Amino acid sequence: MDKFKISLFPNISLIFGIFALMLIVFFLNSLPSIQKFGIELYTTNVWKAYEYEHEERYGLLAAIYGSVYTSVIALLISIPLSIGFAIFVVDFAPKKIKEPLIVITDVMAGLPTILYGIWGLFVLAPFLRDYIMIPLYKTFSYIPLFSYPPTGYCYFTAGVLLAIMVTPFATAIVRESYRMVPRIYKEGAFALGLTKYETTKILLKYIKPAIVAGTLLAFGRAIGETVAVSLVVGNTFNVHPSLFAPGYTISSLIANQFGNAFIYDLMPSTLFAAGLSLFLIGLSVNLLGLQYLKRWRYA
Amino acid sequence: MNAFEVRNLRVSYDDFEIISGIDLDIPAKTCFAIMGPSGCGKSTLLRTFNRLIEINENARVSGIIKLFGKNIFEIETSELRRRVGMVFQIPNPFPHLSVYENVAVGPKFNKMVKNKKELDKIVEWALKKAVLWDEVKDRLRERASNLSGGQMQRLCIARALALKPEVLLMDEPTANLDPISASKIEELIHELKKEYTMVIVTHSPSQASRIADYVAFLYLGKIVEIGRVEDVFENPKHELTEKYLTGRIG
Ligand SMILES: Nc1ncnc2c1ncn2[C@@H]1O[C@H](COP(=O)(O)OP(=O)(O)OP(=O)(O)O)[C@@H](O)[C@H]1O
Ligand SMILES: [Mg+2]
Repeated sequence: MDKFKISLFPNISLIFGIFALMLIVFFLNSLPSIQKFGIELYTTNVWKAYEYEHEERYGLLAAIYGSVYTSVIALLISIPLSIGFAIFVVDFAPKKIKEPLIVITDVMAGLPTILYGIWGLFVLAPFLRDYIMIPLYKTFSYIPLFSYPPTGYCYFTAGVLLAIMVTPFATAIVRESYRMVPRIYKEGAFALGLTKYETTKILLKYIKPAIVAGTLLAFGRAIGETVAVSLVVGNTFNVHPSLFAPGYTISSLIANQFGNAFIYDLMPSTLFAAGLSLFLIGLSVNLLGLQYLKRWRYA
Repeated sequence: MNAFEVRNLRVSYDDFEIISGIDLDIPAKTCFAIMGPSGCGKSTLLRTFNRLIEINENARVSGIIKLFGKNIFEIETSELRRRVGMVFQIPNPFPHLSVYENVAVGPKFNKMVKNKKELDKIVEWALKKAVLWDEVKDRLRERASNLSGGQMQRLCIARALALKPEVLLMDEPTANLDPISASKIEELIHELKKEYTMVIVTHSPSQASRIADYVAFLYLGKIVEIGRVEDVFENPKHELTEKYLTGRIG
């Protein structure tokens, strides 16, 4: 092994060490709850916080469901938005507004998330309720997706807010790699008589790994986001198909409940178990992404 | 018959004139070489023939170019580029697409085929035409980036041929290849000029003399000399041409 590789070893082992340690801490702390409730901890939706241990019962399904639901909404909005925005900035934006647009997205990415939360609470939620949810509910309430009487504080608002929050990150990754596509491929496509739209389609295929990476990053941020989501998601133990139903997410559950968790016997352990599930969801989504990239690279 | 007729062509980038009033005729089904030192505007000139120059926002073109008698600025760019194929200096097959898809991309997007069978036929035909079929017929699903440089360049030729063009523009197609791959491409050009009008940019007089029927010597955006290869090489009328051919400028 050469010296350079050896010199990297401490860094690598440090990172892996911290990772493993975190996983172990979460796992050990979750154990009491997992032993008590078994698999039902993750497959049922109950939240009975009593001071006597034998009456306590917890099931995290609502939070897990809410986390996945809101993140998926966020991605469905954010992926096309960030790709479209990247293409606009690189190919279409006049030189004068190109740099300002990039700066604005970078600033948006760096804003403290509480600002998004407050804005979501006072502006976005009422707006979506009045102009989108209520009209949809009135006409389509027989469709399960739109079936819940809207209050504005629900999965949908959380998903839209998350989309707005993660798009700056995702679009930066897509934009930078789209900018780096060698000119010769663009020229090659045009020279075949392809239109601008068709050329873009081919070039987007070329940067698919960056799109996947941007999506993974966006998902990671969306599912981990805490403050902003807890302000708009409704914080209700709910497993409901409707976009307009209030719910909970794992991180907002942890943030909301940790303050008083230590009064109860099993609640701290349950919250660690919630954290563990967040860990596992994040890990599996990233592994899936990596697997996909590997297939893409060696196809 | 002339494939291209060019009159008083001027091209500038920003306010900098690169091509300063060029007239030339390119006879159909011949190989026409545009020769000249680096930076004299060869690529710029070639890119006006399929209007690829227009993707540079700072480029301005004026003058007349006719393709088989029809003003190219009145032909839609996608139709023009279908009829006038182009091969580049750096082999640029789409590296993320397969060998097959690279050839299929043009016919597919230009809606030249009705079904997969027709597409297969065109792909095979084009690859055979580019003398690549035997080397890749078992590797059609592989990424184009796995091919060698010479194979990639022939793949680009196949990709252009798949559109059944009338003219093929080549911008120093052998500049980035080893001598053996380069001579394969030159042989191929010899074959192709029987059916297609070939316009080839090169900075090498010896390559021009090997492959071309006609040659234009371009210098600082102007045509210094133009004519049949034998005439230009055997008794150049202009001192500059002679200097270039004997390697004293370049
Ligand atoms: N997009 C552009 N914007 C501004 N100037 C350009 C652009 N493309 C080319 N030029 C300039 O135009 C001149 C001619 O370039 P061109 O590429 O046509 O030369 P060439 O004869 O093909 O040279 P080479 O043999 O090195 O390829 C050069 O001075 C070059 O710097
Ligand atoms: Mg050139």
